[in-house]
Amino acid sequence: MNVIEAQNLSRIYRLKNGGEVKAVDNVNLLVPEGQFLTIIGASGSGKTTLLNLLGGLDKPTAGRIVVEGVDLSDLGEEALVRFRRKKVGFVFQAFNLIPTLTAVENVEAALAPTGMPKAERFERSMSLLELVGLKGQVDRLPVALSAGEQQRVAIARAFANEPQVLLLDEPTGNLDTVTGKEIMRLCHKASKERGQTVVAVTHAGYVKEYTDRLLYMKDGKFSNTVPEGELEEPVS
Amino acid sequence: MITHVYALKEMRRRKYRTATNIAGFVIVVATLVALVTTARGWEAVTAAPLKEIGTDLIMIYSAPVVPSGYGCYIANHLFSYPFNQNNLVEMANVAGVDRAVPVLMHRMGAIVFTGIDPCETETNAVLPKNVVEGRYLAPDDGAVALVDREYARLNNLTVGSNVVYMEVEYEVVGLVNVDAANILESHIYVTLPVCQKALPEDSTGLANIALISVSDPRKVDEVSEELVSRWPRATPITASDLAATTSGVLTIGEETAWNISIALAVVAVLFTIRSQLAAVSERTREIGILKAIGWSRSDVVSQIFIESTLQGAIGGILGGAVGYGFAWYFLSTMGGFLAVDPVVLAAGFGIALISGVAAGIYPSWRAARLTPAEALRAV
Repeated sequence: MNVIEAQNLSRIYRLKNGGEVKAVDNVNLLVPEGQFLTIIGASGSGKTTLLNLLGGLDKPTAGRIVVEGVDLSDLGEEALVRFRRKKVGFVFQAFNLIPTLTAVENVEAALAPTGMPKAERFERSMSLLELVGLKGQVDRLPVALSAGEQQRVAIARAFANEPQVLLLDEPTGNLDTVTGKEIMRLCHKASKERGQTVVAVTHAGYVKEYTDRLLYMKDGKFSNTVPEGELEEPVS
Repeated sequence: MITHVYALKEMRRRKYRTATNIAGFVIVVATLVALVTTARGWEAVTAAPLKEIGTDLIMIYSAPVVPSGYGCYIANHLFSYPFNQNNLVEMANVAGVDRAVPVLMHRMGAIVFTGIDPCETETNAVLPKNVVEGRYLAPDDGAVALVDREYARLNNLTVGSNVVYMEVEYEVVGLVNVDAANILESHIYVTLPVCQKALPEDSTGLANIALISVSDPRKVDEVSEELVSRWPRATPITASDLAATTSGVLTIGEETAWNISIALAVVAVLFTIRSQLAAVSERTREIGILKAIGWSRSDVVSQIFIESTLQGAIGGILGGAVGYGFAWYFLSTMGGFLAVDPVVLAAGFGIALISGVAAGIYPSWRAARLTPAEALRAV
């Protein structure tokens, strides 16, 4: 069963000078349940735009996206909010934690809109932080955490609502190789344990170890062949 | 709720901006509370000489009077006798007038001799409450008088002894203690008919002062205008006339105080809107993150609202305290008394709260309409 289905998906940005940029150009994609898919490509190839479309953060110019049986093309603003809340979890390159909230409050922020009781919300956030190895640092602000620790908080937040789909946008982009591998291992292990489908966008060469399927993206389109040297090890 | 925690932390994070926003609300509320309270306190002080004799307005028929000092200064500017007692009945029938009480004052040398209607025990030049020894006057009294206690002491007068005015003897039936604030303070008080008969002119049925008590103290000026329009040669004296002449302090009315405060509230709202818009702009990426993790538009809106409303509420509370501090200082320098009015406090707090909510509307709308992808692209 396919958890993600994208048909003829396009996202075109209109420029002020009348021109246009095809960030995603007529893409078709099927991702079966539980698959760990990695998309690689140069900067500006449309990877993040595709991820935003799959996560309901952006709307396609043309085409259709179905995630977990939900056709995103037909959803209004409020339905998209519910979709993002329940169905997908995001991990960003820049961690994107709220700087004024502690680690546990950042995880709680994802649970707050669900109406979950405070005690239950706190308990779940604590157990997720324990899962990512941050049990002793739950009360720290992001600024007091290392880059790897911040990304762990972001992963815990992405898991908070037990989404079926995880979308990882350059999750190791700001990390050294050792930490990056730890983060990928963590994402891989946790997602496999939960049977989650993962779409990751990355440059890191070590993703091969964790990936079920690798796609290469260039100029908004897919290719099944990864060019030589495209997957590079990041500088440690 | 995490939104409250987040709002408080954001306010602490942007200390300068939060402080300036709150300061705006403090200025609004402090201005309102200080001006209204001072205006009321000052009005109470200036109205004291009139309140002392239970009146809101004095009409005297004479050359224009410039009141100054205390005590019997009105007597220094009299005397013709233009009011006959029928005029008083007409005055009592003017809309807004509760009572019109005749008084006839006369001065001979340093002595002020005053005729009153003893039936009027709430509004009069001297009231039963002023009697410290003996009794008050009765309507059918003949040659009997009340004497000012201090005048009696200086002239060795007691209850039962006689006092002389214009060669007529009056038996002292009571001593009175008239507050120096009573602008109709006299030395000898007799009944009105006795006074009219005692004066050298033909004063029968005449009075030179009308003490007017109004049904709504806020409409004193309206009543005063109406009376002057009907008795154009009469001069009114109200609390505000006394305030204007007994002090060089510029007083403002309560209505003006409210208008100034509302104008300031508008300025504070505009200032806070600008400040909150800047905060939203700085937090565009954070708003994108929140939307990406499932926050709805209303969650984001309530977040911004909570912040500006909290700032308004804090400003309202602090402004009330600061306003009373200023009012206390102003009134203490003027010799007035501070009266804490919960209605003024509540109104000030309400204005700050409403302003806080109003200041949050546009910035929160701007925040809510950002798409998550756009917001996340913000640097």
